[in-house]
Amino acid sequence: MQIKPILAALKRHKAGTVLIALQIALTLAIVCNALFIIQQRVSKLVRPTGVAESEVLTVQNSWVGADDATAASRTKTDLLALRGMPGVRDASFSNSYPLRGGGMSLGVKTDPDVKKPITGATIYYSDDHSIDALGAKLIAGRNFLPQEIRWVGSNEFDAPAQVIISKALAHKVYPDGSALGKPIYLALGETGGKPSTVVGIVERLQVPWSGNWASNFVEYSVLVPYQSTGAFGSYIIRAKPGQLDALTKAVPALLFKTNRMRVIPAERGVRTFAQVRDEAYKSDRGMAILMGVVCAVLLAITAAGIVGLTSFWVGQRRKQIGVRRALGATKHDILSYFLTENLLIGAGGVIVGAALAIGMNLWLVSHFEMERLSLLYVVVGVVALLLLGQGAVLAPAMKASRVPPVEATRSV
Amino acid sequence: MFAYYFQLGLRSLRRNPLLTALMVMAIGFGVAASMITYSVFRATANNPIPQKSDQLYAVQIANWKPEDLDKSEPPDALTYTDAVALMQAHRARRQTALYPVGPSVVPADASQLPFRETTYAWYGDAFAMFDIPFLYGGAWSAAEDGAHAPVAVLGKALNDKLFNGANSVGKTINLDGHDYRVTGVIDTWNPQPMFFDASNTQGFGDPAELFIPFTRAIDQQMGGAGNFNCSATPGSGWEARLRSECIWIAFWAELPSAAEAAGYKRFLRGYAAEQQHAGRFNWAPNVRLRNVTQWLDFEKVVPPESKISLLVSLGFLLICLVNTIGLLLAKFMRRAPEIGVRRALGASRKTIYAQFLVEAGAVGLAGGVLGLLLTGLGVLGVGLVFDPQIARLATLDFSLMGLTLLVATLATVLAAFYPTWRAAQVQPAWQLKSN
Amino acid sequence: MLKMTHLSKVYRTEVVETYALRDFNIDVKEGEFVAVTGPSGSGKTTFLTIAGLLETFTGGHYHLDGIEVSQLNDNARSKIRNEKIGFIFQAFNLIPDLNVYDNVEVPLRYRGMKGAERKQRIMDALERVGLASRAKHYPAELSGGQQQRVAIARALAGSPRLLLADEPTGNLDTQMARGVMELLEEIHREGATIVMVTHDPELASRAQRNVHIIDGQVVDLSEEPRFHAHNARVADA
Repeated sequence: MQIKPILAALKRHKAGTVLIALQIALTLAIVCNALFIIQQRVSKLVRPTGVAESEVLTVQNSWVGADDATAASRTKTDLLALRGMPGVRDASFSNSYPLRGGGMSLGVKTDPDVKKPITGATIYYSDDHSIDALGAKLIAGRNFLPQEIRWVGSNEFDAPAQVIISKALAHKVYPDGSALGKPIYLALGETGGKPSTVVGIVERLQVPWSGNWASNFVEYSVLVPYQSTGAFGSYIIRAKPGQLDALTKAVPALLFKTNRMRVIPAERGVRTFAQVRDEAYKSDRGMAILMGVVCAVLLAITAAGIVGLTSFWVGQRRKQIGVRRALGATKHDILSYFLTENLLIGAGGVIVGAALAIGMNLWLVSHFEMERLSLLYVVVGVVALLLLGQGAVLAPAMKASRVPPVEATRSV
Repeated sequence: MFAYYFQLGLRSLRRNPLLTALMVMAIGFGVAASMITYSVFRATANNPIPQKSDQLYAVQIANWKPEDLDKSEPPDALTYTDAVALMQAHRARRQTALYPVGPSVVPADASQLPFRETTYAWYGDAFAMFDIPFLYGGAWSAAEDGAHAPVAVLGKALNDKLFNGANSVGKTINLDGHDYRVTGVIDTWNPQPMFFDASNTQGFGDPAELFIPFTRAIDQQMGGAGNFNCSATPGSGWEARLRSECIWIAFWAELPSAAEAAGYKRFLRGYAAEQQHAGRFNWAPNVRLRNVTQWLDFEKVVPPESKISLLVSLGFLLICLVNTIGLLLAKFMRRAPEIGVRRALGASRKTIYAQFLVEAGAVGLAGGVLGLLLTGLGVLGVGLVFDPQIARLATLDFSLMGLTLLVATLATVLAAFYPTWRAAQVQPAWQLKSN
Repeated sequence: MLKMTHLSKVYRTEVVETYALRDFNIDVKEGEFVAVTGPSGSGKTTFLTIAGLLETFTGGHYHLDGIEVSQLNDNARSKIRNEKIGFIFQAFNLIPDLNVYDNVEVPLRYRGMKGAERKQRIMDALERVGLASRAKHYPAELSGGQQQRVAIARALAGSPRLLLADEPTGNLDTQMARGVMELLEEIHREGATIVMVTHDPELASRAQRNVHIIDGQVVDLSEEPRFHAHNARVADA
């Protein structure tokens, strides 16, 4: 419609126009980036771990005053007791488990003579019960056999003869999908080493770390047929359906009954997997919530600002609205005048805002471990802000359209 | 005159309650968001030992080949070999190697369960280096370090737990089945961030309650409760661990003057050069000496969440201020006729400035009060967003309250400058001409 | 052209009903120049706002150019205002944000006229009031007389059949007022119907016919006013 005269009129209200446009621009820049952060965090925290999360309980245990031999025998006694508990489907002992926060990682190679590993991967000490206790799904090959399990000291690591690896890792080291039965070499920066044959592949098993730095090997896991004789470790207990809650109390009680000379930390010692997940992603979830709140309040404030300033403009222009009405403008003409005016200001704002959004993202990328903003977010943000502007201006514009033509004859 | 302006301001604010409420809310939310995230940032960016932060230095030595390093930075901890060599060289005024250990405390009362406390193995010098206050007794001696003696220093909370707060110096405690003689009990000491072990704690963790000699911990083959990073697999057994190029020990040196620091850096370079000659390092010396603030910065103790959310909140405040400028402009210009009359009645530009800035200040103050309430609520909710270890450090103290009100008022008055300038431009006769 | 019969306008508040116009009758023929006079508060402005379709009325009939307007909706009334009526206000009522050219363009825009024709008409109208050289000026940069001439140009640009003027010279000094009056007379000579509200007898005397309003009723001074008015009231009752 009448864009030129609206622009002409806006030129006479530079300050208000610039302020609204600026507010829209800044809001767009922040909202785009905030939405992007939300999306990134949320996509992280919905990642499946490969664990039967609703059925698993973890217990962190450390033996008091036990040498390697006694620690091993105590751990074995515990495992027998746990597996015999009513309500327990299976139990295992490991150095770590997905999302625990701490664990062990090694390099994985297929050629022993190169120094540089293909990738890093986490090492889970396991036995023939581990896959069942975690609720992981064996999709190829076989589980460990009881006779393959070795008890090793806490300061020992020697490449095992057999390993079970996650599907993601299998595809990474043998992209043609032929990992089963092939050797891999677990090592760091040195050459040589003993081959470990891939005897099984599990569908999915996440690493213990949830930080961004681990995101390039998040599903690269190696199960080794070792049990540690060291004093520290975690029990992974899989409850029968509906038994998890009962086990959170019963398991520590049973363990202390079996042997008192142990420490199960009061905080974070006994955790259901739901708690493990909760704590691992606390800051990601919190960041998403914070950004969500910021977005919502920001949009509300920007909308309120537009309502406020447009209402003022309508009040200031009552007389000229009356004159326009007297000169033949319909209500609809007046309504669309204000909507168009807002759209023009909004368009100016989102153009600047889109540039700001991208600039802000580039800055974040260079200073923090952030990814490049997908343009989709900018487009969504632009549309959202233009709609927000139109929505905000609707009420004052309706009010303007109701200014009676007789207003033109009233004196100031 | 100020009282008159204030009165005028309040009256004007009451006249457009909606517009006023909008402004107060915008400022309140903006300031609260900034203050909440600032309280977290302040906690994480704190200097934990301001009186000595430029005298204490963390040592780094590149014992890995250059391609294993991240941006050619040496690893953030030392091997046992290097830590012991530096201890023996004894080239700083004071120095300590340290690592977190995880012994279990076995209470004398057999009905009580064993438990663990955050424990550090280090040298007797550390207590004086880190300005740790003693309640009873003192640090163990250098001789005891040398003798790998079973001695310990307790934290106040642990002493309260084990000895009901009594002076326990000379008594024994049982760690993993071995007796340790208590040489001292320290008063509450919980530097935030925990600079001395930033590489394991990321700056924040439970306060240390138990300290034993580094030499004793090694004798007892106490594995670390912290990170153990290797560029090559270390081999099996405790001895292999000690001989390995794996890094797991922090090393701090106290160097009170810049000259001493420079001297120590030369010594480190010399040490690395020696290792190169001996064939252990196949690369040029690459060492670092970072003081406390540089170290915390290097360890990225301020979490990116804290920085990003502070930035976003400041952006948020900026938008709220732009919003306020717009609304104030609307509010002031709506009163152009009144300004015209006031000007005609003899008000100077200056008085118009004063009147409107005072009015804006009142809005800002109201926004600040709302912001204070929201900040209070927000600080309670910080635990939702940040690690609880960090969240509990974010508190609404007097300085933050003052800052909230100050920022709100100052920002609003600043935002009011343009609208006020516009208002002051109104000519005495202007209102007669415009319609 | 403009015919009101038994027209009434009542302003209702919760407490009282006030008759602004009561049994109001007037008939303005095509091409007439009528001056409406009366003391302040007599209802002249109300008459003009109703005549210009700026306000609705309470009772009676109003035929504008043969159309009964009481049943028209807001959009239709806007269209009539736009196409048939030109307004000249006492306070000029130019839009301060728009320059002279854009001000004159406003009613043409609402008529949805093509750009080229708009331009032609605007320039013609401005030529006519002698302000073509001021097209880019803003209202605040013009004298009162010039502003009123712009307002007249705006009213003329749409070639209205009926020109309604409300105290067109009320805010002007004598000399400027004379200029505006001469312009109106010239427009009338060219065939436009003009209804002008004024309280200035000298100005009124220059119109073809004078209609006097007292207490919301027409008192035709050229006949026997009181009797006529009285009759009308009886007839209404």
